[in-house]
Amino acid sequence: MKAPILEVVGLRKSYGAHEVLRGVDLRVRPSELVCVIGPSGSGKSSMLRCCNRLEEPTGGQVVLDGLDITRPGTDLNRIRQGVGMVFQHFNLYPHLSALENVALALRHVQKHPAAEAARRAHEALAQVGLADKAGAHPAQLSGGQQQRVGIARAIALKPRVMLFDEPTSALDPELVEDVLGTMRALRESGMAMLVVTHEMAFAHAAADRVVFMDGGVVAEEGSAADIFERPQQARTRAFIGRYTGRA
Amino acid sequence: MSDSTGLLFTFFNLEVAQRYWREVAAGVAVTLGVGLATVLTGVLAGLALAVLRATGRTALRGPVVVFSDVMRSLPPLVVIIVLYFGLPSLGLPLSSFAATWLSLSMVLAAYAQESIWAGISALPAGQMEAARSTGFGWWGAMRFVILPQALRRAVPTLTNRVISTTKNTALGSVVALSEILSNSQAASAMAANPTPLTLGAIAYIVVFLPIVIFARWLETRVGHR
Repeated sequence: MKAPILEVVGLRKSYGAHEVLRGVDLRVRPSELVCVIGPSGSGKSSMLRCCNRLEEPTGGQVVLDGLDITRPGTDLNRIRQGVGMVFQHFNLYPHLSALENVALALRHVQKHPAAEAARRAHEALAQVGLADKAGAHPAQLSGGQQQRVGIARAIALKPRVMLFDEPTSALDPELVEDVLGTMRALRESGMAMLVVTHEMAFAHAAADRVVFMDGGVVAEEGSAADIFERPQQARTRAFIGRYTGRA
Repeated sequence: MSDSTGLLFTFFNLEVAQRYWREVAAGVAVTLGVGLATVLTGVLAGLALAVLRATGRTALRGPVVVFSDVMRSLPPLVVIIVLYFGLPSLGLPLSSFAATWLSLSMVLAAYAQESIWAGISALPAGQMEAARSTGFGWWGAMRFVILPQALRRAVPTLTNRVISTTKNTALGSVVALSEILSNSQAASAMAANPTPLTLGAIAYIVVFLPIVIFARWLETRVGHR
């Protein structure tokens, strides 16, 4: 079995006295799509945001490609280029066109010349099926298109792993498939992905492994079939049941 | 002499105007000079202060807020007089140009800081997070993502404040800065006729109306983005 690209070990996070993560362990191997499901408040998003240290963990480790990025002195700006992140609310830069959104970090973080940055940005936009929207500003795009630009912005930096924080939760139902399709295509291209989601059908069909979080810990994990068809824990069954109507 | 010719003689006296227009014109040059210098340093200093404040570090944020609140409470005229008449006793004599420029720059910096800070803090936290997640450092995210948006949002309040501060260059007349008001006042005293003051008023309109129109254009332009 291949060594994991991303490994979370005993991850803890507290806000004051409130403990949202109480020792989370999980790993993502190359080309693997791991979905994280669970009730709101279970710590899914906090866990994800600790993986590129947008959130500072209170304890435990995040190991990226064998490197513990929670160690002091870690060059976060370099690490984060290898960890693409897609946000629930897209967080596109509204003052820039789609192409400029994607090219910005290529140009000013990775320091590619303008022409090379534009070429790579075009390539990333084409990969999410938005080559023809390069000049559009975020306000001129649908929610689904905006999120695909968000995906392009992350993959343009050629990350080793992608983090998705409820990427379809802010979308109108008819636009969800737009983004899920793009994510499936990305998975086909061999990208390692860690996806926090409420899209149970997507997790069931597309995930290599599913992690069920509850109360700040991983309550159960296994193949998509294990979790959705043969859940072992009562709370997993209850949660899955609420979504599939088999409670 | 009818009333109407009396009015013309008093405020629009051609002979007086011909004799003194050069003084008023010289004042225009000084007003423009101190005004432009003030806008440049005031807005840049305000931008720098807003960025310091945005770091969120108490040691930086505290002094900025104190400076800004003090400068906004003081009448600009008081600042000018304190600097011009007070600093020499500390062995730091300032020319009337320097005193006016420095005072108005500090006042403008305080207001510009507030406008730009308001623009920064109105942005969703996700903007900074998105930039940081692609590898930008704090300053890079500020420069390429936060400030371009914050400055756009700040434009309407900023332009108003720039206009009112540059008009306050007239306060320099109190410390003998030979700008438009001071020169036209002196000229009208010499001529024993207010026509140079009329010229001064016209000069202000000639200088500031284009700026006001430019500001309006700028506001609609950024408003449409």
